[in-house]
This record gives sequence, structure tokens and C-alpha cells, in this order.
Amino acid sequence: MKYIALILLVWFGNQARQETYVAKNARISLFSKAPLEDIDASSTQGTSVYNAATGDLAFSVPIRTFKFQKSMMQDHFNENYMESDKYPNATFKGRVQEKVETEKDGTYPVTVTGTLDVHGVKQTRSIKGIITVKNAAVSMTSDFLVQCKDHKIDIPQLVFQKIAESIQIKVAANYTPYKK
Amino acid sequence: MIKKTFLFAVLVALSSLSRAQQTTAPPESSGTDSLLNSLTAGDKGQPVIATFKSTRLILSETSETIKKNNLNFMVIHRFGDIGGDAGGGKTLWGLDNSSDIYIGFEYGLTDNLDIDFGRSKYEQLLELGLKYNILHQTTDNSMPFAVTLVGKTGLKPYEVSTRVFDDYSNRLNYFAQIILARKFSSSFSFQLSPSFVRNNLPFPYLAGNRQGFIALSAAGRLKFSKRMGIVVDYAHPFSSYRQNSTSPKFYDPSGVGLEIETGGHVFTINFTNAQAISPMNFLSDTESKWTKGQYRLGFAITRVFDFNSKHKGTYK
Repeated sequence: MKYIALILLVWFGNQARQETYVAKNARISLFSKAPLEDIDASSTQGTSVYNAATGDLAFSVPIRTFKFQKSMMQDHFNENYMESDKYPNATFKGRVQEKVETEKDGTYPVTVTGTLDVHGVKQTRSIKGIITVKNAAVSMTSDFLVQCKDHKIDIPQLVFQKIAESIQIKVAANYTPYKK
Repeated sequence: MIKKTFLFAVLVALSSLSRAQQTTAPPESSGTDSLLNSLTAGDKGQPVIATFKSTRLILSETSETIKKNNLNFMVIHRFGDIGGDAGGGKTLWGLDNSSDIYIGFEYGLTDNLDIDFGRSKYEQLLELGLKYNILHQTTDNSMPFAVTLVGKTGLKPYEVSTRVFDDYSNRLNYFAQIILARKFSSSFSFQLSPSFVRNNLPFPYLAGNRQGFIALSAAGRLKFSKRMGIVVDYAHPFSSYRQNSTSPKFYDPSGVGLEIETGGHVFTINFTNAQAISPMNFLSDTESKWTKGQYRLGFAITRVFDFNSKHKGTYK
């Protein structure tokens, strides 16, 4: 009995290992063309979990880890726009619509449908991306736009530096199989 | 054995349950969620930023320093007494007079260390200083407050209110301060700063005055919108001479004001009884009293210029 239990557990464990992938240092960049100065920052501390069997995909990035060239811009990004004290993370939770075979090398254009939570405001989004499988390594890239007003990110009239209404987001994640 | 069988049954039931959920439940409550949470849970505390919007409140220096390769330009002004003998309509409630004007620069040598230079109208004091943010408050409260050290040297190149600068060293003044600041919430920040002032020639130049004394300052900010807040500032010099002197009488400097941030600028409009702007001056010599109408309108304008190289572009 003990052995059967053990074998079954190992089997379950193995299966989970094959279908769950994690990325710990996902790169997330943002860019916005502004009249005075481009807004441009990136974080390499995004985390993501991807379940290839069910298609479930989750992303999370701490707002505070976005690095700007200009320290004042970084302060204002956290203090005035993203309010990272109150809303420390931006997250996305969704499901990949297409079936991706992680055993086979290839490039899979996918659409992920789910909830984007930025600045504490949730939006249902369908975001296009590409999943690449090469030598059993899974990676994902995506490019999409976030409208400031969709997430109640206020751009006050008082600010002299004009800020664009939409922000381009670029995501790149390299996954490793999840080991329990 | 029974226990183990039961445990096994539970395990099987759980795993099949979780599989069932994965295929039927909406994405938000899936197993990836808890896994993501467990992956991000181990994150360490981050340093707390923007405890204050600028390096000055009304009287006090804040715990903030100017970041590397940034230059902060400050213009601080104090008008004359609003009420009392020197105030009223004849001076347009003090607007005709300026009790002090300070023009200063602060440049960030590193993200935590800046060098400061400024000049006051009051005693025509030139000052040069260093400010070092030695410890940051962290979001996980492993460090509950920030610690910033300030050191300044003041020089009085002209004989404004005395003729007794017989020795050059008598023109020199020193100021040292430890600022302990905590951001309690995104809207409320508070700081306490013990300081030491030494005037080589005791200032004001009166019999019985001593060269050195200790002072304690308390200052805070309460934001009521993202860009505006109420600021208060208070200082008490622990000096028996100032405590006991009857002519002139000394009062604790204090102030209240409104702070407005507009991108690169921070404006402060305030009322204070202190005439001077430099801590070496207002801690040594505040002889004005609120209830005698000896308080004044003041303002501060600060502007930060960033000399970091233009964007190389990190968007990849």
C-alpha cells in the first residue's frame, strides 16, 4: 500500500512537472512617446506561471521594480501615477486560447484572454503573444497597449510635462519546468 | 496503516479535485494563482521612496537627498511681519519687506549623498554642507525609519550686525543634524531631528550667549491629494541662555504651510514666526512671536534638473 501510494505520488508529481512552467525574471518594459521626453522603463523582476495543459497563464510584476533613467520620473511614476504604496503589483491572469505542445519545437502565435489588474483596476483583455518552444525550453513574448484611463491613472492638468494617454508594454519571459 | 490509507485517499481526492478545477473553473481561481503567489511571496522589502516631496519643508531639511547627477535649485523667501509694529497696511502686511532670502543649490554626488551650497540675506551667511541618507526605511519594516545626516559650515563674510569679527574663525558657524523620518502612509510622513549648532562668535552677539547648543525639530506632512499637502514644522533650541533671556526674548520657531508639486517643481507657501531660513540663524535667533503679529508669509520654489545622460532606451 505504502509503495503504491509512493508510486502514484511520484507519478502525479511528474505529471505536474511536465505541464507547469514558471518564469522568475520576466522582463517587462513600458514605453510612451511624450512631447517633452519619452517615458521608458523596464523591470526584470516579473514572475509568471504557465500551465501548458490547461492553458492557464498568470503574470505579476512589482511596480517598484521598474527602473527609469531619471530618478525623479521613477518617483513620480510610483507616487503620483501608479500609487505603488496602495497597489504594489500589476498582474494578469488568463488562459491561452490555443493548444501549445510543449514537447514539440515550434512557434505558436497565441491569444490570451483574462484579467489585467493595473493600479487596482481590473480590465478583461485579450492579448496577443507568441509562445516559442525550442529544445524543450518555453518562452513567451507579447506587445500590447494599456490605456491610462482604463485603469484610472490620472493625468492631472497641473503637470507641466505632458504624458501620453496610452502606454506600450512589452513582455518577455523564459520559462523553466516547475519543480516541487 | 489506516492513517496512511486515509492520507493517501485524501491526497488522491485533492489532486483529482484540483485537476477538475483546472479544467472547469474560471482562470482567476486556478492553481496557477496560488503558485504565483507562493513565487512572489518571498520578495524582500523595498526601500520606501518619496517620504517627502522635496529636500525642505518650511524650516527643516527633510530626509530626502538629491539623486545622483541631479541639481536642485532653491529660492526661499520670507516677507516681513504681517502684524505688529512692522506690519499692517503700511507695509502691505509685510510684503514690502523681506526678512530673509535664500538662494541655494544641491547636487547629488550619489543617490544618497548630496553637496549643498547656499546664501542667506540674513547675516549674509554663506553655507556649504553635505547630506547623507545613511539608512532607508523599508516596506517590510525591517528598518522602520530613514536616517539622514546633515553637516554644514557657515561663513559670514560681511559684518552685518557686528563689528567684532577680530578673528577670522569668529565668522564660522557649524550645524550638525540627524534626521529620523518615517512615512506612515502614502499621505502622512513625520520626522524628528536632533541637531547641534555652534557659532564661533555666539549669535546673536550679546553678553552671556554661548557658542554651542542643542535643538530638536519636529516636522510633518499630510497630503490631501496626490500633489498637495499641509506641512508643519517646529523647533525647540535647548539653550538656557535663550530660555532665561528677557531682553530680547526668544521664541521657538514654527511654521505651517501648503506644499504643491507640479512635476519638476515643488512650491511651498507658508506662515512662520522665524525670520531666518538657515537653521544656523533661525535656531540661534528667533525673536518674533506669533501672538504679537510677528509672523510672515513665506514661499519656497525648488526645481530639480536631471543631468543623467539622455535615454539610451531600455524598452526592448
